[in-house]
Amino acid sequence: MRIIADYDRCEGHGLCADQAPDVFDLDDEGDLIHHFDGAELPAEQEAAGQRAIDACPVAALRAG
Amino acid sequence: MTVRTVVVVGGSTAGATVLRDLRARGYEGRLTLVDPERGTNRPPLSKAVLADAGHEATVRMDHSSLDVEHVQASATRLDHEARTVIASDGSEHRFDALVVATGSRARRIAEAGQTGEIVLRTVEDARHLRERIADASSAIVVGGGFLGLEVATAAAKAGLAVTVVDVDPPLQRLLGEHLAASICERAAALGIAFRRSGAALVGGPVRGVRLDDGEEIMADAVVSCVGDEPATDWLRDSGLELEQGVVIDDHARTNLADVYAAGDAAVVRVGDTVVRGPFWANAVTQGRVAAASVLGLPVDAPVVDHYFWTEIAGLPLKVVGPLPLEGEPRVLEDAGEGTGLLAWGSSAVVAYGIRRSVPRLRAVLRELSERGAG
Ligand SMILES: Cc1cc2nc3c(=O)[nH]c(=O)nc-3n(C[C@H](O)[C@H](O)[C@H](O)COP(=O)(O)OP(=O)(O)OC[C@H]3O[C@@H](n4cnc5c(N)ncnc54)[C@H](O)[C@@H]3O)c2cc1C
Ligand code: SF4
Repeated sequence: MRIIADYDRCEGHGLCADQAPDVFDLDDEGDLIHHFDGAELPAEQEAAGQRAIDACPVAALRAG
Repeated sequence: MTVRTVVVVGGSTAGATVLRDLRARGYEGRLTLVDPERGTNRPPLSKAVLADAGHEATVRMDHSSLDVEHVQASATRLDHEARTVIASDGSEHRFDALVVATGSRARRIAEAGQTGEIVLRTVEDARHLRERIADASSAIVVGGGFLGLEVATAAAKAGLAVTVVDVDPPLQRLLGEHLAASICERAAALGIAFRRSGAALVGGPVRGVRLDDGEEIMADAVVSCVGDEPATDWLRDSGLELEQGVVIDDHARTNLADVYAAGDAAVVRVGDTVVRGPFWANAVTQGRVAAASVLGLPVDAPVVDHYFWTEIAGLPLKVVGPLPLEGEPRVLEDAGEGTGLLAWGSSAVVAYGIRRSVPRLRAVLRELSERGAG
C-alpha cells in the first residue's frame, strides 16, 4: 500500500500524524511530512495508514 | 466494572474517532458499530466532491483494521434498563458502554408532499447536487450560512447564475460584520447575488422560491442549506435527556449510566444552558473524550474544541477560538484585500485567504493570551 498526499490540499490539521505517527509528522511550521512519500508502507504500518486516510478532514490523503 | 462490550451507534467522524481511540488506548474487548452506512467524512462533500466526482471515494471511511463488528442497520431503540440497543434488522446488542454518535440530518423546508427539495448532507446528496449543477444554468441557495455559501461557490464556479436568499446578512451571525462583509464582497465578485428575505419553496417538484414580498424567483436548481437537526428520534422514549440533541457533560456522559454521546447528535451542558456546535472539530474531540470516559481513563481533551474552517469564493478561512467573532479584528499580518492573519482580542485568531496550519494558529492564540493582548 502507498499513500499519496496532496500537499496543496493539506490544511495542516495534523490528524494523520495522531493516527500514524511513524508515517506522518508536522514540521515546526505545521507543514506535513510524509515519511513514505512515493514508497510502499511497511506492512505493519498499513492499518495506521488507513486510519490516517480516514481521519484527514480535507481528504488530502488517499491510498494509491 | 470492566468494560467488555462497547456499542457505538453511528460511525462517521464522531463514532469513528471513538472506535479508533478505544483501540489506540488499548481496549481489546468487543466493539460493535451499528450504522446502516459506511462512515462519511462530510466536509469535502460541499467542497472538493461537489466540484469533482473523482473525490467521492475519498470520503468513505474504512474501519476494517479496528476489529469492529459492523451491524449494517439503523438503531431504532435504546432499552437502558436491559443495556441493549435494538436495530432495524431486529438484532439486539447488549453493551457495557454505549456511545451515541448518530450525528444529524439536513433540515428541510418543503411543505408536506412537496417533492424535489435538494439538501446536502450525504454522499448521495452531493452526487445528486453535482449532477444537477452540471445540467443547470441557474441556482437558488436558501440559507446564507457556511454551507450555503460553499454550495453557492461551487455553483458559481461551474458557471451558474446563483442567488443566495437569507433573512439575515450572510455569515454575520457567526463571523461578525467585518469578516462576513469581506467574504460576501468576494462572493459577489464571483457573480453570486444576495437577497435579504425569508423564502418558501414553490413548485412540485420545487422550481423556485417565494420571497416575503410575494415575488417569486425561479431557477434550474434550488438548494436548501438551512441547518441540521440531530438524528436522535430513535432515543425519544429512552430516558435520555434530549435538548436539541443528547445532553452531555465535560466527560461526554449523559444522564444515563454507561451511555455517552459525541458529535452533532450531542449538545454540551454549560451551566444552565446547552451549547450546540455541530462542527467537525467538536465531533473529533468529543469522540476522544467519550473513548477515555468509557474506559475510565482521565479525560485529556476538551469537550468543546473551538476550531472551524470553511472555503468560500475560493478562499480558505480557519478560525481558532469561539464563535461568534464580535467587533473589529486586529490585523496581525496583512495579505491584501482583507485577507491575512486577524485577531479578535486574545480570544480568536483567523487565517483568511492564507495557508496556515492549525498548530501554528493555536500557537499564535496561546501567545496572544499569555501576553493578555487586547
Ligand atoms: C456538506 C457538509 C460540509 C461540512 N463542512 C464542514 C467544514 O468545513 N468544517 C467543519 O468544521 N464542519 C463541517 N461540517 C460539519 C461536520 O461534517 C459535522 O460536524 C460532522 O460530520 C459531525 O460528525 P458526526 O459523526 O457527529 O455526525 P454525522 O457525520 O452526521 O454521522 C452520523 C452517523 O450516524 C449514522 N446514523 C444516523 N442515524 C443512525 C441510526 N439511527 N442508527 C445507526 N446509525 C445512524 C449515519 O449513517 C452517520 O454515519 C460539514 C457538514 C456537511 C454536511
Ligand atoms: S490530516 Fe490531512 S490536512 Fe491534516 S495534516 Fe494530515 S494530510 Fe494534512
